[in-house]
Amino acid sequence: MIQLKNVCKRFGQRTAVEDLNLAVSGGEIYGLLGHNGAGKSTAIGMMLGQVWPTAGAIKICGHDITTSRSRALEKVGAIFEAPAFYDYLSGGRNLEILSTYTAPTSRRRIQEVIEWVGLSGRESSRVKTYSHGMRARLALAQALLPNPELLILDEPGSGLDPEGIHEMRQTILRLHRELGLTILLSSHLLHEIEQLCTRIAVLNQGRLVFEGNLSEARPRGQWIRLKVGDFASAVNTLREAQLVTEQRDGQLVALAQGIGTDQVVELLVHAGMTVYEVAPEQENLEAFYLGLMNRQREGN
Amino acid sequence: MFYLHLRNELWKLFGKKRTYIGFGAFLIAQNGMLLLFRFTNWQKSWARLLAGNGYLAQDYLSALTVALVMLIPQIILLMPLYTSLVGGDLVAKEAEDGTLRMILARPISRFRLLLVKWLAGIIFSAVLVLVLGGTAVAFARIWFPWRGMFVYSLWPEHVFNLLSVGNGARLYSYAHLFLIINAGTVVGLAFMFSCFNMKPAAATILALSFLFINLVLEHLPFFEPYQEYFLLYHFRAWLLIFADPVPWERVIGSLLVLLAFNLTTFLIGAAAFQARDIKS
Repeated sequence: MIQLKNVCKRFGQRTAVEDLNLAVSGGEIYGLLGHNGAGKSTAIGMMLGQVWPTAGAIKICGHDITTSRSRALEKVGAIFEAPAFYDYLSGGRNLEILSTYTAPTSRRRIQEVIEWVGLSGRESSRVKTYSHGMRARLALAQALLPNPELLILDEPGSGLDPEGIHEMRQTILRLHRELGLTILLSSHLLHEIEQLCTRIAVLNQGRLVFEGNLSEARPRGQWIRLKVGDFASAVNTLREAQLVTEQRDGQLVALAQGIGTDQVVELLVHAGMTVYEVAPEQENLEAFYLGLMNRQREGN
Repeated sequence: MFYLHLRNELWKLFGKKRTYIGFGAFLIAQNGMLLLFRFTNWQKSWARLLAGNGYLAQDYLSALTVALVMLIPQIILLMPLYTSLVGGDLVAKEAEDGTLRMILARPISRFRLLLVKWLAGIIFSAVLVLVLGGTAVAFARIWFPWRGMFVYSLWPEHVFNLLSVGNGARLYSYAHLFLIINAGTVVGLAFMFSCFNMKPAAATILALSFLFINLVLEHLPFFEPYQEYFLLYHFRAWLLIFADPVPWERVIGSLLVLLAFNLTTFLIGAAAFQARDIKS
């Protein structure tokens, strides 16, 4: 559905995206993670033909976005952070206007989508009277009008209250389940990504620093949280005894094959060290992400 | 599809309250001029001018004569201001509001989008000019009879002519076609600037600055032999169709220059818009 090959984007001297390679297959909910300014929105802008890449190739639904933009975007819907509308016009009129930029759309289809997103009865009201949640629903409606196969969501939960975020999450899952859409979701809300996505890519300073399944990003049982008086010397002792293979973040160690936590504790106690806590680390996406970012910073 | 896209632009343009503010301002100014003409020595001085040239004032101080008197200052002062305001908004306001990004997430080409926006600007110019021309005659008719037309102007062009009511009405209508082109040219100029990455107000100010610099340079003695290189020189051609005889060579020449200027500004705007990145 989406293919980016060696894509670069420079704004003057500043590199916003560097040598980005991505592939999103049909039916996936793919998460694009990164801090503010990491290059997520620029990457999405390039996927939609709004931002011209400095180098590289981008294919959407099998068509090159720079040479066949119209065909590439025929079956694509998009929602941006803080969706903008013609506030002085009604919601229905906004949908009518935006839909014609893809193809003529019947009133019946517009009504169908309005009902799907739960805006029935308010389509004649001016958008300026809409709440933030209603605007989010209208944004979803305009994205669904062209019967998309691919939905690109750029920070869709931004500015929503917890209830709104929950509703948005349920809607995304419903879209995936009921309409079988491929969804690219960009966010810095790690919790959202964790609950929705099957695969993720992490961007940092315009570069791809991780790409893979969510299960790869939060492996279970590999890391042990070890709280001792002196972590560095404990790691040295454990390494000399070949009980651990890796350590990170000043409190995590990876046990060697076949080694149990009892052996670790026994060795450290024998070495005269105080052990406060030994527990398997159930790594969540936040821990993975923060660790990844720390390693990037240390690498720089 | 093209019709639907154009319809969208017209909905957007005429759905905004600020689109009508200008109409209101023009109507107030028109009536101000009408009151001035009716209740000051202005009317008497024109009557004396007609009598001095051997004509009966009551035959020519008509609705058409006064409508033209009401129109000239508005065309020179208000029209550029208001049309550049609308032209500057056409693209830059959508970029500023974020709706441009919503549109360009869809498979419409940038050129098509610009073309319909530009056409909407031209249609707006036509509506504005025709409404102003119509209301000027309608308001003038309240106090003045439907008789022959007296055209007298010392500036921006020197014109002195007396026309029958039929001829006057015909030329008054033709003049509006030229005025539509003038208004469209200002819209096009501001539109060109708004295609670049700038705020709507900046596009409007740049367009007005361009016109102002034209006006200043045109009146410097040094540039007197080069008058035809200035845009405002060609804007004035509309008044010349009331002259006797009509300097057709000058009028058609100006018309062609304005059309070429419109094409140029559109192409520059389109090239800038095509090359730019649309970001939030």
